[in-house]
Amino acid sequence: MYDTLDRSQLKNVGKSAVRLDVKEKLTGEAVYVSDMVLPGMLYAQIKKSPHARARILSIDTSKAEALRGVRAVLTGSELDYRLGLYVVDKYLLAKGEVRHYGEAVAAVAAESLQIAREAVDLIEVTYEVLDPVLNHMDAMKEDAPLVHPDLGSYDYIKAVFTPIPGTNIANLTKLRKGDVEQGFADSAFVVEREYDNPSVQHVPMETHVSIVKWGSGDRVTIYTSAQSPFTVRNLFCRTFSLPFNKVRVIIPYVGGGFGGKAGIHIEPLTACLSKKAGGAPVKFQASREEEFSLLPCRSALTYRIKTGVSEEGKILAQKMEMYWDAGAYADYAVNVTRASGYSASGPYEIPNAWVDAYTVYTNKPYGTAYRGFGHVEFHWGIERHMDLVAKTIGMDPLEFRHLNALRPGSITLTGEKITSHSGDVLACLDAVAKAIGYGKKSKEEKLREKESGLRIGKGIAILQKAPAMPSNTATAAIVKMNGDGTVSVAVGLTDIGQGSTTALAQIVAERLDFRLDQVFVKVEKDTDSDPYDWQTVASKGLIMSGNACILACKDLLQKGYAVASHVLKACVDDLGHDSEAVFVRHDPESRISWPQIALGYAYPDGKAIGGPLIGIGSYIAQGLSNLDKETGQGKPALDWTFGAHGIICEVNPVTGEYTLRKIASAFDVGKVVNPQLLRGQIIGGMLQGLGTAMCEGYIYDGSGHLLNPSFTDNKIPTAKDLPFEVETIAVENAQVDGPYGARGVAEHPMISVAPALGNAIYQAVGADLSHMPIRAEDVWRALHNKQPIDNWITKTPVGSCRSTPVLGSHSPSHALEP
Amino acid sequence: MIVQFSYKAPTSMEQLLSLLGKDGATYKLLAGGTDLLVGIRNGVYAPTQVIDLKKIPGFDLISWDEKGDLVMGPAVTINAMLFDKRVQEHFPLLCACGKDLASYQIRNRATVVGNIVNASPCSDMAPALLCLDARVRIESLQGSREVAIGAFFTGVKRTVLGKGELVSAITIPSSMADKAGVYRKLKRIQGHDLGIVGVAVVNLGKSARVAVSSSAPTPVITPELPLTLGLDKMLKEVEAIIRPISDVRCSKEYRQFMVGEYAKRLWMEVIA
Amino acid sequence: MKIKVTVNAIPYEREIEEHMTLLRFLREGLGLTGTKEGCGAGECGACTVFFNGKTVNSCMVLAAEADGAVIETIEGEATEGMLSALQSSFEKHFAVQCGFCTAGMIMSARELIHHHPHPTAEEIKEGLEGNFCRCTGYEQIVEAILDVTGSFVAKEVLTYV
Repeated sequence: MYDTLDRSQLKNVGKSAVRLDVKEKLTGEAVYVSDMVLPGMLYAQIKKSPHARARILSIDTSKAEALRGVRAVLTGSELDYRLGLYVVDKYLLAKGEVRHYGEAVAAVAAESLQIAREAVDLIEVTYEVLDPVLNHMDAMKEDAPLVHPDLGSYDYIKAVFTPIPGTNIANLTKLRKGDVEQGFADSAFVVEREYDNPSVQHVPMETHVSIVKWGSGDRVTIYTSAQSPFTVRNLFCRTFSLPFNKVRVIIPYVGGGFGGKAGIHIEPLTACLSKKAGGAPVKFQASREEEFSLLPCRSALTYRIKTGVSEEGKILAQKMEMYWDAGAYADYAVNVTRASGYSASGPYEIPNAWVDAYTVYTNKPYGTAYRGFGHVEFHWGIERHMDLVAKTIGMDPLEFRHLNALRPGSITLTGEKITSHSGDVLACLDAVAKAIGYGKKSKEEKLREKESGLRIGKGIAILQKAPAMPSNTATAAIVKMNGDGTVSVAVGLTDIGQGSTTALAQIVAERLDFRLDQVFVKVEKDTDSDPYDWQTVASKGLIMSGNACILACKDLLQKGYAVASHVLKACVDDLGHDSEAVFVRHDPESRISWPQIALGYAYPDGKAIGGPLIGIGSYIAQGLSNLDKETGQGKPALDWTFGAHGIICEVNPVTGEYTLRKIASAFDVGKVVNPQLLRGQIIGGMLQGLGTAMCEGYIYDGSGHLLNPSFTDNKIPTAKDLPFEVETIAVENAQVDGPYGARGVAEHPMISVAPALGNAIYQAVGADLSHMPIRAEDVWRALHNKQPIDNWITKTPVGSCRSTPVLGSHSPSHALEP
Repeated sequence: MIVQFSYKAPTSMEQLLSLLGKDGATYKLLAGGTDLLVGIRNGVYAPTQVIDLKKIPGFDLISWDEKGDLVMGPAVTINAMLFDKRVQEHFPLLCACGKDLASYQIRNRATVVGNIVNASPCSDMAPALLCLDARVRIESLQGSREVAIGAFFTGVKRTVLGKGELVSAITIPSSMADKAGVYRKLKRIQGHDLGIVGVAVVNLGKSARVAVSSSAPTPVITPELPLTLGLDKMLKEVEAIIRPISDVRCSKEYRQFMVGEYAKRLWMEVIA
Repeated sequence: MKIKVTVNAIPYEREIEEHMTLLRFLREGLGLTGTKEGCGAGECGACTVFFNGKTVNSCMVLAAEADGAVIETIEGEATEGMLSALQSSFEKHFAVQCGFCTAGMIMSARELIHHHPHPTAEEIKEGLEGNFCRCTGYEQIVEAILDVTGSFVAKEVLTYV
């Protein structure tokens, strides 16, 4: 542990320090990119494809170019740049063929937004509409149209991913542990079912927005509402073959991200417009509608799980097939597939496991990172499935989880051994079970049921997630002392609302033993002046940047002590310090104040030593390895954060309408750094998870047009959708290599909310659902044994266009004697 | 907004009617703007002129005429109606429907008249107005006329209003005061949402009526049904007036089912 | 056309385009960028301001309508750098994360408190339903309003196991 201290000894860590950025946000002073206007700035608009798949026959931009006030018009034929995080498969503007509804086809920069919009309307595109492949299961078929016929020629990260040319498979992640067939043969029961969920939208309140100036000498400045300044810079430079030190990415306040702003999106196209317009800064902000289809979403998933269990209820084998719907471009989806592949079982010990996880191209808006990075989606399947298995063998779901969950000594899917300090999923489970009174109904609850005619159900679900990141993920921190003894901290990690600036300030104050008000961590990021950070994703910020801050503090103190030892004529080992001064420990009167040495010390005779005190801390993930491509074995996880949700739900047994009485959520966070910030992450993530569980999802017609790209028909939870009672629980089993024992928990609250709800509804009324979201109508259909809705592709809510008949949500599960 | 239009704010009925009577301009009337400005933004409407009704004296008034009928002008907002003590006391069904309309901010702007002129099948106010026999006063340079709310809607987003005409008031006869009525709307979330199904039931003393929104091209209402009518027969009457469809919000089947469920629930509530 | 409008007690006289929304006028015309646009369609409430004492979605109001009106925005909430009691309560209760919905949320909360000086949690949720927040899950916002109106019952922030 970088610094292990008893909680009672901590002065800053563990306290609800007020957010450093809160006053600016409360008064409207905080400047977001959407608020910014630069001198001479132009406004961009984008012409988008109305088709899911079509050949571009011609684009006539002459009328747009002739419009007064238009300064640049671009089409794909002028831009030969391809972009991609892992598979380089996406042109900045479609060339030859459009691959999804809403794809960018042409772009305009003009003196006003209004002129830009008029110009886009004047661009005439003729298309030859082609048959799209929309369902990812259809796209797996041999005769399916290819979304990327040239897949074989694309660049990709070969150590990690496996695209299959000549198919729609952008990546196949495999994992093999033990002998799964033998495991099934030894099993007393085998239970198999398929689970699915649609694409959803992140919905940050601030839509994607960038201002880019392509200055003279190829000096490019990018202001962008993004999560990862260095990812934007580095991928931008690779795309345009520019040196990294000529491109500057500035990220001011960001109005939410949730993974949707993790990579690089509209910055390169906006930059090309600026270049064509002679270097004037160009601003592009996506409309709410564009946020749904021009920009990426979360991938849909079809997850087939086959589980073999012993007579006693111990899982002996599990075969898992994931089909991730990438949409038209691979973006993060291939890595979502990888991260979900190695975590596919959730927090269970599976002695014999077999995973095939496919990323499948389709002609739909493409998927990217979204809070949980695949784990929200596949935990829906796993945690519904565990209840189904428990039911099949006649065991209580809580008991079944106790029998099979990871515990010290367990071996994970990738061969990692769980230890006593890995975190305790069963402690989380037991805490939420207790909080909701799992397994029984109270007197009041029985009375409520009697009076209302509604049925109360209680469901539980557990979860795990590790940061999905390269094995050499690195970050750094700089702690600079100012002339008055205060310190300013710079990190490349972006605070998109999660509160990392405040948490890092607490860690710095703790390590320096300074007052919190002596520490400032700025919100705005600038790649020219801030130290490198890989990305603001994966719930790795607290642990990695926290450690880097601790190292930087140590460095700063060491440098300060070196100067002080000269001044005080004392051995460094005899020195101590507080927030005001460095002193000789056995002679505390002998002291030198921090301001006196902050910028270098001057002796009374004028001679000076030292210099500005700057502490530097670099941190890199240690002990991780790439996974074997055939077996998936290796060490992918910096840390595992485990958790659980318990839900009390009240369901109308006739109509399927339901409301949530209570949700209890528990996470083993290692060490709580800031209780109120943690609570905000838990409740915020939980409600976002409930949105996914209850109402959110993309609906397409049979031609691939997105039918609900707005808040009118893509509802998100409001204040009234909050469960009546919310309980947040912290379990603290310290992470040995975490800052003060802490581990990340930003994504986790969103995971497994949906299956906890599904399990509660099943418990209440017996509606057995395998697809989410769970709308009242879905519950009603399950109750009345009707064909489930499958409207994620078809226009008519009723009727399926699935490629192969699969076990529907309401068909009886397979419970086979082997 | 890509559409460039001019803004006019007449300060008298005469000015307004003469603006409406002018040829050439395609105008849209602006009251709360909560449908109009979304429609313009989304390219559904492209007026060259937007005529604001809110500067005309009296248009924002809730009043009671000599017969004791409730009269609401075209700029009366949903919240103004909800906050009116007399409306609260005598027309609980109006308030029940109004309270479920969109969000608080929207109710500060959206008007009762606008909600019916917009003629959406999912209008929240229409079920109450149908139940309460509201009458729609229509003015134009050619004179004025009055139609029953039941005859006002002609289709999805269509009404009997012709060019040059506007709705100058909605009146509710005093005979409908103090009638017990309830409204229930099926939504996709607990928070603000369009009605997936809306049902209102009013008790008229010896009979009752059931009004339904979001289940036919226009909001619809049953004839007066005797209170003694059994639930099954009542449901038959309701089924006879609805023509639900499947869309992204809900299937036809579930709409049909939920109209029946809500009608039963509300019928029992109101008759009891 | 020219409009006269009072914003946060400051009178302005400005030439505007007649199709301009009040939101754009405030942000681009007056530089008051504290009020945000989240959807442009009256659904999310990020653009909520006071218009003659009542909250409205300023993306769904024309600037032309504001001729002669009194507008209040988030920039008028604090006094000489001192947060209002409502803002302080938001600070204390961690009712802010990314901050993009905050201005609209404060406006709606003020309107709510005006009509319900001592609201229940249910009334608060009702009053805020037109303001989307994707970060906080609303609970700490509700607590902030309960506290500033005197009915917050303090409890443990977290249950520790």
